[in-house]
Amino acid sequence: MNSSTGSGGTLDAGVPQGSQPARSMAANLLSIRNLSKHYGDFRAVDNVSLDVRRGELMTFLGPSGSGKTTTLNMVAGFDTPTAGEILIDNQDISRVIPSRRNIGMVFQRYTLFPHMTVAENVGFPLMVRRVAKPQIAERVTRVLKLIRLESFGDRRPSQLSGGQQQRVALARALIYEPRLLLMDEPLGALDKRLREEIQLEIRRIHHQLDVTIIYVTHDQEEALRLSDRIAVFDNGRIAQIGAARELYDQPANAFVGAFLGNSNFLTGKIATANGGRYQVTLKDGSSIEAPARLALAPEQPVSVMFRPEKAILQSVSETSGFTNRVVGRITENVFLGDSATYEVRTASGELVTVKQPFGPSETKTRTMDEEIAVSWPHDCVHIFPIDR
Amino acid sequence: MVAATEARDTATTELARQGRTLLPALPALVFLFLAFVLPVWVLFLRSFTEPATGLGNYQSLVTDSVYLDVLVNTFFVATAVTISTLLLAFPIAWFLVIVPSRVARMVFAVILLSMWTNLLVRTYAWLVLLQDTGAINQFLMYLGLTSAPVPLVNNMVGVIIGMTYIMLPFIVLPIHATMSTLDPALMQAASIAGAKARTIFFRILLPLTLPGISAGCIMVFVMSLGYYITPALLGGVRDMMIAQLVAELIQKFLNWGLGSAAAFILLFITLAIYFAYVRLVGLVRPT
Amino acid sequence: MLLTLQRMGPGRYVLYAITAIAVFYLLLPIVFIPILSFNASRWLEFPPPGWTLRWYEQLFTEEQWIGSIWNSVKVAFLVTASAIVLALPAAFVLVRGKFLGKTALNAFFASPMIVPVVIIAVALYGFALQWGMAGTLFAFVISHLILALPFAIISIGSSLQTFDIAYEKSAMICGASRVQALLHVTLPSIRPGIIAGALFAFLISWDEVVLAIFMATPSLQTLPVKIWVTLRTDLSPVIAAASSLLIGMSVLLLGISALIKRTRK
Repeated sequence: MNSSTGSGGTLDAGVPQGSQPARSMAANLLSIRNLSKHYGDFRAVDNVSLDVRRGELMTFLGPSGSGKTTTLNMVAGFDTPTAGEILIDNQDISRVIPSRRNIGMVFQRYTLFPHMTVAENVGFPLMVRRVAKPQIAERVTRVLKLIRLESFGDRRPSQLSGGQQQRVALARALIYEPRLLLMDEPLGALDKRLREEIQLEIRRIHHQLDVTIIYVTHDQEEALRLSDRIAVFDNGRIAQIGAARELYDQPANAFVGAFLGNSNFLTGKIATANGGRYQVTLKDGSSIEAPARLALAPEQPVSVMFRPEKAILQSVSETSGFTNRVVGRITENVFLGDSATYEVRTASGELVTVKQPFGPSETKTRTMDEEIAVSWPHDCVHIFPIDR
Repeated sequence: MVAATEARDTATTELARQGRTLLPALPALVFLFLAFVLPVWVLFLRSFTEPATGLGNYQSLVTDSVYLDVLVNTFFVATAVTISTLLLAFPIAWFLVIVPSRVARMVFAVILLSMWTNLLVRTYAWLVLLQDTGAINQFLMYLGLTSAPVPLVNNMVGVIIGMTYIMLPFIVLPIHATMSTLDPALMQAASIAGAKARTIFFRILLPLTLPGISAGCIMVFVMSLGYYITPALLGGVRDMMIAQLVAELIQKFLNWGLGSAAAFILLFITLAIYFAYVRLVGLVRPT
Repeated sequence: MLLTLQRMGPGRYVLYAITAIAVFYLLLPIVFIPILSFNASRWLEFPPPGWTLRWYEQLFTEEQWIGSIWNSVKVAFLVTASAIVLALPAAFVLVRGKFLGKTALNAFFASPMIVPVVIIAVALYGFALQWGMAGTLFAFVISHLILALPFAIISIGSSLQTFDIAYEKSAMICGASRVQALLHVTLPSIRPGIIAGALFAFLISWDEVVLAIFMATPSLQTLPVKIWVTLRTDLSPVIAAASSLLIGMSVLLLGISALIKRTRK
């Protein structure tokens, strides 16, 4: 381990790291192979495979019931997989009991032991490992300093705020330097401001300690803010894995496009394909272009997706602008300070949302029921086949 | 074939798992079985075998007028006690719901203290209070309400006063539990809609409190049926209840056959009422 | 309206009056007996002609009375200890276990609360006579335990029910073994329930009359049995002193349990 990062670089800079695996080992700390969990006919987790790299913060993002928490619980050892393998450092841990996995976990409810002080809570993992008392005290002090609660050691959990309690829970999970830290919607019970504050704290600690973290959340903003990579879960399967930007700009399917950020969806079908572009005929009769990322046959029904902020509004008479264009009437008009959001109903009755930022040049606001053209560049379009 | 074996295997492992799950409860289970179920079962058998095999014991209990009187007495006392406790308990529960919690806590403390004071002590207290030279008769005479002591003990009056005292907590608690979950806004809504206080009471408050009332009444009635100490001390010779009969037949007259038959008539009535209630209303949660 | 104090109208005074009478009714014996126990009159005359500590002196010196008090204490402690030892693992099974017939098992453990005590008493009496256990400490403990066990199980079970199993999980993921998690996290968290169960068990045993009457012999009696036996022959004021002792114990134990409830909040 690199101890030149200063006093806070590692929790245990002075203690030999005998049990820590050398850095030269495989880049993937955790590998999940074809993992499934069935409850009768219900597939909570359905053939999930993924790798978590050493030192990375990966988010499991998805709506409730999408299988992210079940997957996490199987990694922790609280659920037994129906099928598949969980490997840590290339060793299958499916049969190892939770307490022997050397994994840290922070729960949504803080689960600080109410009958112990903050210091006793944080020292608990070392106490059960029969570490000598003076050494426990020393390491507790150090980790409390890391979460900036060094003067709170003698308090009871009930005397702390929700945010402080969750930081103590984090300290308790970090003190024994687990090879992997699991966080199950740890900020779900906190209000927005506190949540953002602790998100920064988690990022800071992640960078400072180089610890590998799996973070479960249903909050896409939180996922974008924290993650190195995001695994999007949908119905027990992984819909897509990648860095935030990749997921936002190149969603692999309609679910990821819809779940991460705001999107417009229009239905249509492929007319022709040429030169790496598809011509798509929309429901209202207009024709648009889209990059041909997937091989699709003519007449294939598709869902056409683009982001509200990639489109602009124009008068119907204006002809400049982007390749793709639909015409409709403004049905909703929301002023948001730095931007305005318009909802446009096309001739086919579909709704398109356009987000128009008020930059230095853009100052116009549009009125309700105005007939308007929505235009957007062809390379921002994603098309997903719809099953016939 | 293979599937069937597999299914049986998983069924066996599932059974084994359930068995392991139950293991920690085993000592308590074995204890209750040996110390409770088995003796009661043996007693049950004796009611058919002593002095002769057959239903003779039950026959004499339901035909002999002496024993029938005991049964009638038992039901009379249980009914009277249920009514008198209900008349007291409903206003108390209502009071506890509407007063500030500080006052309610004090009344609760009194109720709990009375409930957890030794049964014998409470009965003894009433014996002393109700006797001819006791405080209550002295007080009545002092007020000039009566010139000679009123016989309050060694008769049905004494039994009902004493049993009402003992049963009161068991009916206040369920009625209060139900009433305290009612939303005062319901009454306000009825009142805004034009209902008079009388109508609100009979059409809204009373029906909504009924689950608690019925639970409390059943509890008091069933418990009263099997009471021994209080009727034995406060009642007269002719006011015997069935539990006394059981105790006396067995302890005094060593008539195990008849005594155990009487015991099982009591048990049967108790369980029948209890199960009928559970079927009709659902499980009574002891408080 | 009917559930709001200010808007009840004059009808609320009826409620006040009835409750006041009921509170008086409930307190009367509990207050009256301790006062009476200092009554100098042999015949419990009221109002008392004078005051004395004679009855307490008799209670604590007469071999039979003091012996019965000690027996009650011994039995109650043994019952409390056995009730907790049996109830603790059983409560875990009833709350945490997933198995067929869980409702039935719950009902079975509660059944001694439903069956009239006199039936349990005569049934055990038959057994005690047959196995020569009448008048032994063992018979007292066994019989009282039947009644104390359901209370202990319910008391521990309900605190286990409110205990969030996530605490245990987080202890285990921190590296605690099952036993360590149980000892350091679960048991301390449900301690109020265990203590309440113990108090109930103690009080139930200490106060038990019906079962005790059937288990007792003249040579081995608990305090309630001694009161019962004495009561059947005369109304000696020593009974009032003994009764005051029982009332005092109830006040003490209920006070402790109220104190625990308060600190839990």
